Amino acid sequence: MRQRHVFGTVFTLESAVAGLVFLVVLGLLTWVVVERRTQEASDRTERPRVEAFYVAALAAFAVFLVAWTAWQNSREPRTAVVRPLRVDVTGFQWCWTFAYPQSPAHRQVTGDCHGRSLPTLVVPAGRPVQLRLTSRDVIHSLWVPALRYKMDAFPRHVNTFTLTLDHEGRWRGRCAEFCGQRHYAMDFWIKAVPPERYDRWAHGAAAAV
Amino acid sequence: MTVAPPAARRDGAGRPVPPGSWLGWVSSTDHKRIGLLTVGTSLVLLLVFGVFALLMRTQLARPDETFLAAQAYDQLFTLHGSGMIYMVMTPFALGMGVYLVPLQIGAPGIALPRLTLLGYWLYALGALTMLAGFAAPAGAHAGGWFSYPPLADSAYSPGAGTDLWIAGVFVAVTGTILMGWAVLWTVLRRRTRGMTMLRLPVFCWAMIATCLMVIGAFPALLAALTLLAVGRADASVFLHNTWNIGYQHIFWFYGHPVVYVMFFPYLAAVAEVLAVFSGRRFFGYRGTALSLLVFAALSMSVWGHHMFATGQVANDYYSLTSIALLVPAGVEYFGMLGTLLGGRLRATTPMLFALAFLPQFLIGGLTGIMVGTPVIDYHVTDSYFVVAHLHYVLFAGSAFGLFAAVYFWFPKVTGTRLDDRMGRWHFWLLVIGTNLTFLPMFALGYLGMPRRVSTYAPFDGFGALNLLATIGAGFLAAGMAVFVVNVLATLRRCSLGRARPAGDDPWQAHTLEWATTSPPPRLNFPADRPLPPVTSFAPLLDLRRRERSGA
Ligand code: HEM
Ligand SMILES: [Cu+2]
Ligand SMILES: [Cu+2]
Repeated sequence: MRQRHVFGTVFTLESAVAGLVFLVVLGLLTWVVVERRTQEASDRTERPRVEAFYVAALAAFAVFLVAWTAWQNSREPRTAVVRPLRVDVTGFQWCWTFAYPQSPAHRQVTGDCHGRSLPTLVVPAGRPVQLRLTSRDVIHSLWVPALRYKMDAFPRHVNTFTLTLDHEGRWRGRCAEFCGQRHYAMDFWIKAVPPERYDRWAHGAAAAV
Repeated sequence: MTVAPPAARRDGAGRPVPPGSWLGWVSSTDHKRIGLLTVGTSLVLLLVFGVFALLMRTQLARPDETFLAAQAYDQLFTLHGSGMIYMVMTPFALGMGVYLVPLQIGAPGIALPRLTLLGYWLYALGALTMLAGFAAPAGAHAGGWFSYPPLADSAYSPGAGTDLWIAGVFVAVTGTILMGWAVLWTVLRRRTRGMTMLRLPVFCWAMIATCLMVIGAFPALLAALTLLAVGRADASVFLHNTWNIGYQHIFWFYGHPVVYVMFFPYLAAVAEVLAVFSGRRFFGYRGTALSLLVFAALSMSVWGHHMFATGQVANDYYSLTSIALLVPAGVEYFGMLGTLLGGRLRATTPMLFALAFLPQFLIGGLTGIMVGTPVIDYHVTDSYFVVAHLHYVLFAGSAFGLFAAVYFWFPKVTGTRLDDRMGRWHFWLLVIGTNLTFLPMFALGYLGMPRRVSTYAPFDGFGALNLLATIGAGFLAAGMAVFVVNVLATLRRCSLGRARPAGDDPWQAHTLEWATTSPPPRLNFPADRPLPPVTSFAPLLDLRRRERSGA
């Protein structure tokens, strides 16, 4: 999925910068603790010029960071292509329903999230899929950690996002917004299958995917 | 005809209250007593809610653990989080202000003393009300510290525990707002001769910024709680998305500034400690004061970053304002590091806590920039990454500032120092425990562990990191036990009169509270001793320097 690549770039950059800043401060502190035990204390109360340059650098970095990440992020929705496959996702206490309004057999997958009976969100690999996300009761949040993405499911409101899984596989999805007693168990699977297999399934032919 | 003497008339109105009795304490309008009550109450509650955390960590140590049922776990994390924020870190911060600000500005008392006392009562009552939820038939509230509707409405959280939670938080926050007004009014109106605004100690500047946020943002929490109460009375309110998302906006308009209310006073305590034990004036004073005000103002514009995943806010805007905060934060670090770089360090116990504050809070701040970036936040929000981030800010940062403050001002308040050896044990156990507990949580969140889960499956692969975190919590418990023993033993020595007196100024400190006796008299400064002239924001430092050059 594209989102994942964006996440990777931004996360790596910010971690690297954060790590560098942390090391510099830690280095200064170590130096101070080792070296500044015996010297006379300095009397200097301010260094306005240094501080001004420092503030300018901080501000420039903040602006760069925001602009760059916003730009990276906005490249993502642009790739949303013609006629995505639509899946209506409904969270409820405490499991999920995945409905396929465009499928000839009106496929609908659900479960009760007890034990091993987790519902599976089946999607064709390589094709854009539009998830329309809502809830039947309280707020939930659909999170697929492997895709590095989540979005909240509100009652009486539909949130939409489009994703493309570029290869086949099966990943764990979870509810990320606390929604009551069985919140911890509100898991599901997301599974990307070859498009032909998806089509057969959508027509009601193959029972299991 | 005889006139009854006034004493006889007073008799009818009841006996006078002896000042040393508990009634004397809870009815005193002496700001030092109100401040101590507030700080003491929050320290006791810190232990209570800390025990809740230990119970949670025990439950999470292994996968599929059954030590706590899901309902119990949910109540514990809700009361732990709400308690630590509404009843510990915020009141302690204001309590420090109530105690210290009048002393630091050379005033004989606080402005609005009765209102301050009322504030303490409301706070204590609110905390008790919230805890009383455990006695409700269905137990305490279990909706998290921000309690979003519709989960928190009467259909999904029917118990009385939720009502008690709303009432308790409402009352306690009203109390803290009153204290905020009193402290702000004191700094603005009760400064002694010569104490201009630019000679205020850094701590007083932090309290100004803090109180401005309390006054500006805390009423939003009262509004959010009112909305929740109305929605519980009339369930149709939360049938509209407008009110569900609206609640989040109102709540977080309070919810972000409160983070800085739980940060500035501790940061400033650390700044005072760093300056004193570096043996020099605080570096970059004006930049720091200005950055606190900028910080406070900006803090009111960032609330949407808690809602990036709702799909209903302008993410890029809130990302811009949030990341802009790194500028004032950077200025504060500039001042603190600059102070150290030109200093001559003394490694006392308060100084150790202050030194550890710097890198540990920095981890919270740097990961704050990450979660302020929407692309990253989509993945890590509502996961253990956020739990790690918020504990680095609040525990590894603010709580270390809190302990620095306790060790630093304890001799002023009681007249004797806390034991230094035990202080060091406390410090090292806490440093190990903090990082062992909270560092693995970043990885847990990244790997996909959601927050607020009462258990997880063995095949999730979260077992080892969670076990590490729980072992860390053991170190924290040991450290806190040392601290409690230290405080109780020292207080006992004080009351038996066996304590070694610390003197007025045991640390060669800078600000006016160290110019009076320890503990200070009822009106703060002895009548027979003139206040030193206020020549800068470090008047005692100036005084020592003048004496040295004069001698
Ligand atoms: C100043 C001290 C502390 C503050 C201000 C604080 C604050 C919080 C907050 C706000 C939450 C979120 C509650 C919620 O999701 O509604 C929380 C959760 C939690 N805290 Fe703390 N905390 C503190 C100390 C500790 C310590 C020392 C430990 C470990 C021993 C700890 C362990 C936990 C755990 C296990 C959770 C639950 C996480 C979850 O299930 O999502 N906390 N804390
Ligand atoms: Cu949930
Ligand atoms: Cu925030």
